[in-house]
Amino acid sequence: MLLVAFCLLSSGKWSGAQTNTPPTRADALHAERAAKAQALAPHHPNALESGLNFFEDRAVFILDREGFYPKLGSITVGSGFAYGLGFRDRDLLNNYGAVDMWVAGSTRGYFAAEGRVRFPELAHKRLLVEGWAGRRDYAGEYFYGLGTDSQRADQSDYGLRTTVFGGSAGVRPFSKLIVGGSLEYLHPSVGRGNDDSVPDVEDAFGEAEAPGVSQRADFLRTHGYVELDYRQPRYPRQGGFVRADVSHYEDRTTGSYTFNRYDFDVRQFVGFFAGRRVLGLRGFVSTTDEREGGVVPFYGMPTLGGNDTLRGFRMYRFRGPHALLLQAEYRWEIWSGLDGALFYDAGKTPLERSDLNFDGLERDYGFGFRFNTDNGIIFRADAGFGSRDGPHLYLVWGGVF
Amino acid sequence: MRTGFSGFARFAAVRAGAGVVVAVMLVATDAAAPRFYPDDPIWTDDDRAFDASGVGTIEDSNGYDFVANTFSNPGERRDVRAPNVNTVDELPDSSWFTNRIGRRPMSVADVVRGPDQRDGVDMAGWVVSGGKSSGVQPGFRMTDSSGQTYQIEVDPSSNPEMASGAEMIGTALYHAIGYSVVEVYLTELDPKTLVIADTAMMRDPLNGKRRRVRPRDLELVFERAARQPNGRYRVLVSRFASGRPIGNFRYYGTRPDDPNDVVAHEHRRELRGARVFGAWLNHDDSRGVNSLDMLEAAGGRSWVKHYMFDFGSILGSGTVFAQRHRAGNEYIFEQRPGWLTLATLGFYIRPWMRIDYPDMPPSVGRIEAEVFDPQQWRPEYPNPAFDNMRSDDAFWAARIVSRFTDEMIRGVVAKAQYSDPKATEYLGDVMIKRRDKVVKAFINVVSPVVDAGLDADGTLRFANAAVDARAATPPAGYTLQWFAFDNATDTRRDVGDPVQVTSPEGRAPAELLTGSDFIGVRVSAAHPDHPGWSSPASFTFRRAATGWDLVGVER
Repeated sequence: MLLVAFCLLSSGKWSGAQTNTPPTRADALHAERAAKAQALAPHHPNALESGLNFFEDRAVFILDREGFYPKLGSITVGSGFAYGLGFRDRDLLNNYGAVDMWVAGSTRGYFAAEGRVRFPELAHKRLLVEGWAGRRDYAGEYFYGLGTDSQRADQSDYGLRTTVFGGSAGVRPFSKLIVGGSLEYLHPSVGRGNDDSVPDVEDAFGEAEAPGVSQRADFLRTHGYVELDYRQPRYPRQGGFVRADVSHYEDRTTGSYTFNRYDFDVRQFVGFFAGRRVLGLRGFVSTTDEREGGVVPFYGMPTLGGNDTLRGFRMYRFRGPHALLLQAEYRWEIWSGLDGALFYDAGKTPLERSDLNFDGLERDYGFGFRFNTDNGIIFRADAGFGSRDGPHLYLVWGGVF
Repeated sequence: MRTGFSGFARFAAVRAGAGVVVAVMLVATDAAAPRFYPDDPIWTDDDRAFDASGVGTIEDSNGYDFVANTFSNPGERRDVRAPNVNTVDELPDSSWFTNRIGRRPMSVADVVRGPDQRDGVDMAGWVVSGGKSSGVQPGFRMTDSSGQTYQIEVDPSSNPEMASGAEMIGTALYHAIGYSVVEVYLTELDPKTLVIADTAMMRDPLNGKRRRVRPRDLELVFERAARQPNGRYRVLVSRFASGRPIGNFRYYGTRPDDPNDVVAHEHRRELRGARVFGAWLNHDDSRGVNSLDMLEAAGGRSWVKHYMFDFGSILGSGTVFAQRHRAGNEYIFEQRPGWLTLATLGFYIRPWMRIDYPDMPPSVGRIEAEVFDPQQWRPEYPNPAFDNMRSDDAFWAARIVSRFTDEMIRGVVAKAQYSDPKATEYLGDVMIKRRDKVVKAFINVVSPVVDAGLDADGTLRFANAAVDARAATPPAGYTLQWFAFDNATDTRRDVGDPVQVTSPEGRAPAELLTGSDFIGVRVSAAHPDHPGWSSPASFTFRRAATGWDLVGVER
C-alpha cells in the first residue's frame, strides 16, 4: 500500500520536482485524498457484524414474529425444552386484542396445544378479557406421596392429560391493582407416566394415599383473584407483589372430588446500594377444603419442590392439601444483566391445616446466577444444597419470584 | 504526551485494516516534507474535495457496536498527535467540525439558538409521514407542506420533559462546541389533530415488515408519553438534515469508500476530545450508533457530512428512564469491578452505588456534580477515540468548555423549558459545577500557555488559559527558552540561556530577530499543583512582511 501511494504521488503534479513534496499543506492533504480515491473499496461487514446485525434486524422478529412462529421454550415446569409451531396475531381489532395458537412437544415427551384470545387493554386499560381452550398432555409428572413425610424412594410417576376451556375477566381500578375472576371447564385424566424407571402412581399408591388416582372427574372451576403488583421494575429491585386466589372446583362427574382451594402469595423486595443489591422475601400459603363430603384429588393439591420453590429438592417433591413456603434471596449485580444470588427456602405440605406452622419445615440453601433485563430473568442457574435429598442443579429459562 | 487518563487507554498493534490510510499518512509525512508549509496554519481542511457519491451505507446495530468495542479493541491505539490538527494545534474546519465558540466570540443568544434556523415550528398542515426508524424514544415522522421531514419524539410518562430537555440542551451545546447537529424545537401537540398521510410507512414492531402507519400506532406512542395537564403532549421536533442518510460513523477506522476520509477516526482530535465534552454533559451514549453520516451534494459533487446525533441520553436522562446510577461511572462490562463483586458475594460496593442523588423533579433524571470525577468518567462502553485521547486533545477540549459562561449555560437550560423552576436551577448549577471540574481537570494537564504573539520588535506576549479560566492560580513566573528553527532540516538551535519572567511577556534576543526566518520560544512554568505546566509549550513564528506570524504550537 505504501508503494502504491508513493507511486501515485510521484506520478502527480510534483513528479518533476527535486522531491515529491507538495508546495502547500492544502496540496499535501489533497494528495492524500487523491491516493485514497484510487484505492476505494466498499465496506464489507465481517462475520460478527453480519451475524449481530442479522440477529437484531431479523432474528428477533423470527422468534417474536406475527403469523406463524417457532414455539420454543417450555410447556410447563418440568416439561423439558419444548418446540413446536404457533400462529399469532397481536393486532386484532385495531390492536386491542391478540390471538395466539400453538402446538408443541417437549424433550420429556410432554405435548400441549392451546388457543388463546386476549383483550388486555379494553376500556382504557381498565378491563382485561381473555378466553382459552387447550389440551395438555403432561406425560411424566412425579408423585412421592402426600405430606411432608413422603420419601424420595417412593417416587412414582403419572401422566396427566387435561382438556380445558374457559374465560376470564379482570378490572384494573388503578394500574397496580387488578381484581378478576374466571370460569373454566377441566377434563383431566390420570394415566400412566412415561418414566419406566419408577412405578406408576396407580401401582404404587392407592386411592386413600393418592385421591383421584382411580376415578376420573370433570371440574367446573370458578375462580376469583385480587392482585397488587408494585414491583419496580418487573425484575424487581424494590416494591412487592401480593396475590390472593380463591377457587371452587366442582366435580361434574362423580361429585366426590368437589373442593375449594385458597392461595395467598406475598413477595417483598428491598433494594439498596442503588438497587444493585436486593433482598427478596416470599411467603406462600395454600390450603384446600374438601366440600360436600368429597376429597381433594392429589393432582389439584399444591406442590413444593423444584426450581421455583424448594430448590434443594426435585420437582413436585412434596404435595399435600396444604402448603407453606418461605423463601429469601439475596441478589447482587455482578455486571449489568448478570446477578449472583444466595437463597434459602423452607416449606412443607402438611396433611392438616392446623400444621401450617413453622415446625418441621423442609429446608435448603444455595446459590445461583441470573441473566436478566429490567423486564425479568431470561435464564438462571440455581444450585440447591442442604436438603435431605442431596444437592440439585436447575438450569431454567425464566425467573423464580 | 498521552497521560493515560484513568488507565484504560490500551495500545494495540496497527490493524491491517488501516490499510490505505496509514500508507497515505506515511507518504504525507515524508521526511522531505517541511514542518511548515507556506499556507500553514490552515483553518479549513477541504475534505469535500473528492466526489464521494459512491459511498454505501454503514448502519451498525447496537449489539455489534457494543460487542466490537467491548471485546475486540478496534482501531489503532497509538500515542500519536491527532493528525488532523493544524500546525498551531487547533482543528481546521471540516465536514466533521466547525470552529465556533473555541475560535470566535459567541453571544449568549448565539449559543442558545444553536443550529436553529427559525424561532420555532408551526405544525399546521403537517402530516404524519412515517414511523421512527431507530432509537428507544417513542416517536414518528411528520412532513411539512414543503416536503421537509421532521422526527417527533415524546417524553416518557415517568419523566416528563426529561429526554426532550436533554436533547435541547445537548444540541445547543454540541453545536456551539463545533459539531454538526440537527435543528431541534419544542412544541405542543394534540394527537387528535394528527393526519396520517396515505404514503406513511413504518416498520411493524411486531414483525419488522414495512407497512402503512395506522392510528393505533400513534396511540401507542402517546400511551407511553408524558401528558401535560392541558391534555396535550410536549414533543421534540428534530428537523432532518439535508442530504441522503448513509448510516453512522465509527469511532475507529475510516470509511473505505470515502476518498475524503483519510484520518483514522480514533485519532481525530474532535472525536478524541469528545470525551471531555461527554464527561461534562454525561453523554454516556456517545458511541458510533448515535452518530449520523449524510451524503450532501452540490455542484455535481457529493461529500459526507458527519453529525453528532441523539442527545436524549445526556445529563440525567436515560431517554426513557432516569439515567442509571452506573452510567458515566463504569462501562456496561468492566472486568475488575465485576470479578471483585462476584468474588466477594456483593460485599464489594462500587463507589457509584454510594452516590446520593438529591431529590429533584423527574424532568432532571439522575445527575450530580459533587462526586463527579471528570478523569474517571466513562461512556457506556469503550470508545477507541476516547481511549486515544492525549493531554493535548484534552487541553483543546477543556479550553472550549471554559468558554461557556454561566449565562450561556443557564440560557441553554432555560431553552429546555422545564415547567418546574427547581429543575432549571438545579441543572444549571450542576452543569456549571461540572464545567468547572472538567476545565480544572483537563486544562492543567499540559502547559496552558496560549495565544502567543511576537511583535516586530521582538516583544513576546502570551496568555495562560488555565488562569484565565480561573482553573488555576498564576505561577510565580515563566521560563522562556528561545530558539532558531530551520524549516528545511526541521532542526532547532537554542539561542541564549533560559530566561525567567514574572509576567506573561518577554523579549526575543536581538540576534535571533535578524538571523532566521523561523524563530521560536519554549515556555514552561512551575506550579505546585500542576506538574503538567513544567513541560514547555513551544511556539514557532515565521517572519512576515510586518512582523512575525505564529505558525507552530506544540504541547
